[in-house]
Amino acid sequence: MMKEENAGWFRPLLRGLAVAAAIAAVTTVGITRQRLIAAGETPQAHKRIPVYYWHMWGGEWLPSMTKVVTDFNASQDKYEVIALQVPPAESEAKFLMSVAGGSPPDVMVQWTNAISTWSQGDVLQPLDTHMTPEEKRFFLNDTYPVVHENGWYKGHLYGMIINMDVNACYYRADQFREAGLDPDHFPKTLEELTAISRKLDRKDANGRFTRIGFLPASLQMYAPSFGGGFYDPAKDDVLLNTPENLRALNYIVDTNKQLGLDKVRRFNAGLKSQSGIDWPFIDGELSVTLDGQWRVKQIKMFKPDLDYRVAPLPPPAGGKPGASFSNVSFLTIPAGAKHSEGAWEFIKFWSGLDNPGAAAKYATGFSWLPSSPQMAKSPDYQAYLRENPKFQTFVDLAASPNIITTPPVPYQLYLMDRIGSVDDLAERGSLTPVQALTKLETDTARERARRTGLGYDQ
Amino acid sequence: MVSAKKSLVGYAFISPWLLGFLAFTAYPFLTSLYLSFTRYNIVQTPVWVGGANYHNLLTGDPLFWKSLGVTFHFALIAVPLGVILGVTLALLLNLDLKGMGVYRTIFFLPSILPTVATSVVFLWLFNPEIGLINRILRAVGVTGPEWLQSPQWALPSLVILSLWAVGGSMVIYLAGLKDIPTHLYEAATIDGATAWQRLRHVTLPMLSPVIFFNLIMGVIGVFQYFTEAYIMTPGGGPEDATHFYAVYLFERAWRYLDMGYASAMAWVLFLVIMVITGLLFWTQRRWVHYEG
Repeated sequence: MMKEENAGWFRPLLRGLAVAAAIAAVTTVGITRQRLIAAGETPQAHKRIPVYYWHMWGGEWLPSMTKVVTDFNASQDKYEVIALQVPPAESEAKFLMSVAGGSPPDVMVQWTNAISTWSQGDVLQPLDTHMTPEEKRFFLNDTYPVVHENGWYKGHLYGMIINMDVNACYYRADQFREAGLDPDHFPKTLEELTAISRKLDRKDANGRFTRIGFLPASLQMYAPSFGGGFYDPAKDDVLLNTPENLRALNYIVDTNKQLGLDKVRRFNAGLKSQSGIDWPFIDGELSVTLDGQWRVKQIKMFKPDLDYRVAPLPPPAGGKPGASFSNVSFLTIPAGAKHSEGAWEFIKFWSGLDNPGAAAKYATGFSWLPSSPQMAKSPDYQAYLRENPKFQTFVDLAASPNIITTPPVPYQLYLMDRIGSVDDLAERGSLTPVQALTKLETDTARERARRTGLGYDQ
Repeated sequence: MVSAKKSLVGYAFISPWLLGFLAFTAYPFLTSLYLSFTRYNIVQTPVWVGGANYHNLLTGDPLFWKSLGVTFHFALIAVPLGVILGVTLALLLNLDLKGMGVYRTIFFLPSILPTVATSVVFLWLFNPEIGLINRILRAVGVTGPEWLQSPQWALPSLVILSLWAVGGSMVIYLAGLKDIPTHLYEAATIDGATAWQRLRHVTLPMLSPVIFFNLIMGVIGVFQYFTEAYIMTPGGGPEDATHFYAVYLFERAWRYLDMGYASAMAWVLFLVIMVITGLLFWTQRRWVHYEG
């Protein structure tokens, strides 16, 4: 009886434990395997030191990325870069988790300019400590200002710019001629551009815009031309409610008001997409538009016979020529990276720090701007410019000292989000430009006070 | 002794779940409470800051109040409408008509589609100029609003989207309706009750436990509303009109790396949901009818 009873509970217990053990085993194997893949600790195959690299380029960009990695690996007998493409939408969370978990990639590209936030948070390793004196000299003296002035935090370089977008005016020569304007003589001032663009506007029978000549939008995009911006390097402080920023915002809001805020909103809302073949400029809904150099490749791909030209944004009276806001991509080495030396070799190879001429083909592969005059003058880059003459305007702009980027303060993403928010309020007419910039200043001061109260270094 | 051994067997069987619960629910849950009293960016060691995060939230963060307001506003419209529409549809789909299975399937289908896919489709439907909704309105001579681009209409647009997926709760109502004993209707009919009286005095009271269940789940769901707003109105929408609480919490955690602050926000949200759920439980005595 006792025996039977024992067997009665013992068998299910065994079964239960077996199931639990099986699940635990599967989970453990899964985790271990994942860890090995992530951290590159497999003792197998690689005779060379593996350098794990995460990036977000897929689709048409992937072959260009693969070429960089293949060429680097062919040039090396010590390191081997193993690239992993991560989905852009999850890249940041994945990256931060990998650093928190102590198993980050050795090198990673960053599309979001959060270098200061992450540097303050010990997420990144400094890069300048890897540089030889010769490399440092070249970097600081021979690359374009936008390249060597960004990516710093507290005297150390944490992000090496590998790509920057600068903005210039794309304009439709066919529409210029149709409106009786000479496409060979693009306006020399912003005021002139704004005035002639009204000749390019078209409306339907109901008075709705079917085309707008030139529609300025976004304080971030226009502030640089007005001599404005969001950061003063001399004082290492943010610039928000300045006369220059106010002028820029006033200009955008006034131009939109002249067109009719409601009509502009409807026009904007009706635009299909900002990318590919539906980009309003290709579609013919905007005659002049301020956009980045990467559109040259898109136009070539989607509408090669488009009759268009490119010119720098003409400055307003008293403004700055050759000014632009620039979105940049950085190469970074995360804190806890196991092969930072190999990572640095890869960064150097790709950015062309010790051989800008050789790295030019990687920039042209992506349709990127050169990072230095040496790279721009290299045979590869010159050949690319002969093939894509419209790129020249952007190459000239890249050398400009008036390019600004996200301010390198540790609360930079909060700041950029708030700039976007007050800009939206002003462009919709819910706040006046003065109120908008005052609100921006108040919100930012509050956030700084909060961070100071928590003991953060500003 | 035997009972202890039997318990052991039981625990062994549920141990995978138990371990999972302890490791992935209980531990993060309690840790977030601790983290809400710290300054923490997920990489550095948390630094104790006392109640500073809660103090900042309640006194120095207009966006916190704004996002809480947006979420309440949404809850006040979306939850009651969801209940009314869900019950109405369930009542209609409970009629004894030919081909009812097909209708039920049609109404249930939207709720099984992935949220992201639905959101992207609705982005096009809501386009003020080329979207289907405004085209239809234009065809009947009405100028449609700017939907997601308008500060006044962005939130109602998301409410409409939420109603589109009402099929999930509708199925539960339908199951509830099937559970109502037919003899109650027979008795009511014999007593001369009209269709409206049968609905008012038989169907709704008998369905009230199911309505209560869906109400609680709906409230909990809307206070965590995130995906649709994040995809369709990035950055909080026009003039922060759809800057939902969960969206702001996500930004604080993953964009600004303020995990401590975000944890405090999560606990405030938890308390808000608890209080509202508590209030609903308190009111249920007045309107929820449990058979027997």
